Amino acid sequence: MIMAKKKNNSSFALTRGEKIFEAVNAVILILLGMLMLFPFLNTLAKSFSGDTAILTGQVLLWPVDFQTGTYKYVLREPQFWNSLKVSTFNTIVGTAGSMIVTCLTAYPLSKTWIYGRKPLMLVFVFCMLFSGGMVPSYLLMRSLNLINTIWVLILPGMLSIYNMILMKNFFEEIPEAIEESAQLDGAGSLRTLVSIVLPMSLPAMATIGLFYAVGYWDNYMSGLMYITDPKLRSLQQYLYVLVTEAVTVNENMSMDALENAALNSEAIRAATIMLACVPIMCVYPFLQKYFVKGMRVGSVKG
Amino acid sequence: MAQQSLTSGSLSANEAKQIAKLNRKKSDRSRLRRSLSLYWLLIPGLILILIFHYTPMYGLVIGFKKYNIFAGANPFDAIAKSPWVGLANWSKLWVQSKFRQAVANTFIISAMKIVIGFPIPIILALMINEVRNTALKRTLQTVMYLPHFMSWVVVGALFMNILGTTGIVNAIIVACGGEVQKFFMDNNWFRWVLLLTSVWKESGWGTIVYLAAITSIDPALYEAARIDRANRLQLIWHVTLPGIAGTVVMMLILRLGGIMDAGFSQILVMYNSTVYKSGDIIGTYVYREGLGKLNWSQGTLVGMFNSIINMVLVLSGNIISRKLTERSIW
Repeated sequence: MIMAKKKNNSSFALTRGEKIFEAVNAVILILLGMLMLFPFLNTLAKSFSGDTAILTGQVLLWPVDFQTGTYKYVLREPQFWNSLKVSTFNTIVGTAGSMIVTCLTAYPLSKTWIYGRKPLMLVFVFCMLFSGGMVPSYLLMRSLNLINTIWVLILPGMLSIYNMILMKNFFEEIPEAIEESAQLDGAGSLRTLVSIVLPMSLPAMATIGLFYAVGYWDNYMSGLMYITDPKLRSLQQYLYVLVTEAVTVNENMSMDALENAALNSEAIRAATIMLACVPIMCVYPFLQKYFVKGMRVGSVKG
Repeated sequence: MAQQSLTSGSLSANEAKQIAKLNRKKSDRSRLRRSLSLYWLLIPGLILILIFHYTPMYGLVIGFKKYNIFAGANPFDAIAKSPWVGLANWSKLWVQSKFRQAVANTFIISAMKIVIGFPIPIILALMINEVRNTALKRTLQTVMYLPHFMSWVVVGALFMNILGTTGIVNAIIVACGGEVQKFFMDNNWFRWVLLLTSVWKESGWGTIVYLAAITSIDPALYEAARIDRANRLQLIWHVTLPGIAGTVVMMLILRLGGIMDAGFSQILVMYNSTVYKSGDIIGTYVYREGLGKLNWSQGTLVGMFNSIINMVLVLSGNIISRKLTERSIW
């Protein structure tokens, strides 16, 4: 009894030392969180700032010499809109295709009783372990006439084995009795998957859908390797060109020319970065509760 | 009596065995039928990996050939028609100082990222776990996961803003009486820039696994320790940390398995010719040699070298993980 009372006390009232501990811990974490946000906020402030203020390093978290000309400039740029279109198409079509293939592949493999499960899994897992590498992949795309087509940005990465295994782990959690009742009613395997299993896996679908969507949206490597046509540049590749060109400019130019080049480019670059971040920043917070749960089930697997 | 019950018992056991056998036969048949009804769902996935994963593996033979891309109807057809040269490409590869430098850089950068970068998510997770205000906890998590979802192009660009010659860091250095540092063009700084940006991008996300492991620790352990008058730091040290030790070991092994990728997509954005000495890794070397200079055989060979070591590392990591923690990635 006395012990129980003590226990209750200790879990309700904090000692002074504990209060200090919690306060210090919270302060450190808040500072770290601000440090994590700082690059975004600093770039956001720069994108609205005047050139001289940027070049003299005055911009911290708030715009100096406020202007919106950079955004007007970026939004007038036809290449920006074109790249936005490419990225949007990739993300929507790619994610839809990926989700279909991933669910179709993960479902049979989630059945422990299916014949040949081990060798089939091995066929997929081996792709995670070993790859032909960049050069043979490039030669393959050339042979398939996929170079400079939009499909080269979608098809090669359509099935992520990692995501497929995550999905499979989710499916394994669903009690099989529910599916069996549907099969007794005469539903085929595809109908069971679509009408019974998928509606029960919405958190998993949200998690993996987010992973795919972010993967497509953030992908710039495929573009660098397989796309030379500016019309097919994704937003990230557009940004890549913007960023790396700025560096090469710095490298080869005299101090005067460097300042002239940086004069316009830095604020414009900042504006483009912010515009490229916006879609993710809008979607991600709403999906957070799903993927935290999703990672828990999927990653910590016996 | 005893005998009777024994025989009747063995009889019923026999019966049960036969029934089980019949059932198994029946269920074997239905198992096969059900398996067959599921196999066709695998077709799209199998076609995709057959084309985009397994076909390029055949392309690896280029490493042992004198490859001429125009020898056939298309670049892949040309592979079969190019002559074999055995290990000639290998011997050419090893004498290149740039290749050896790329290998060395790969290991150095990976080692830095593991030694300094690996413990950070663990510490962060322990700290976040101690926050009792749920609103604050959620906000912190939202903020810290965010960088993970940004592409390396965006991250590179963000940090070029901060660390560039006109960035805030240099402004502070100058204000303190120092000289302007070109972080992205200085071989002394570049690896630290890589470390900093990868810590910034992935540390928050890395906490998810540990936070999940912490939630599965038995609360009774905390109660018991509290009754023994353990303070918060002692609770972390004696309960939380041992509770996630298995996860830590598994993550470390997995991380060691990934040592061959020192951050290809990261470095490709951030590096330039002035920092090849400190920042050129195997991935970027293959990209420049193979796709940039069209040196197909060399590029393929370096890629193969990378892939083989990678596979050995991941496989042995997984075996060790299975032995030590009874968990594996598949």
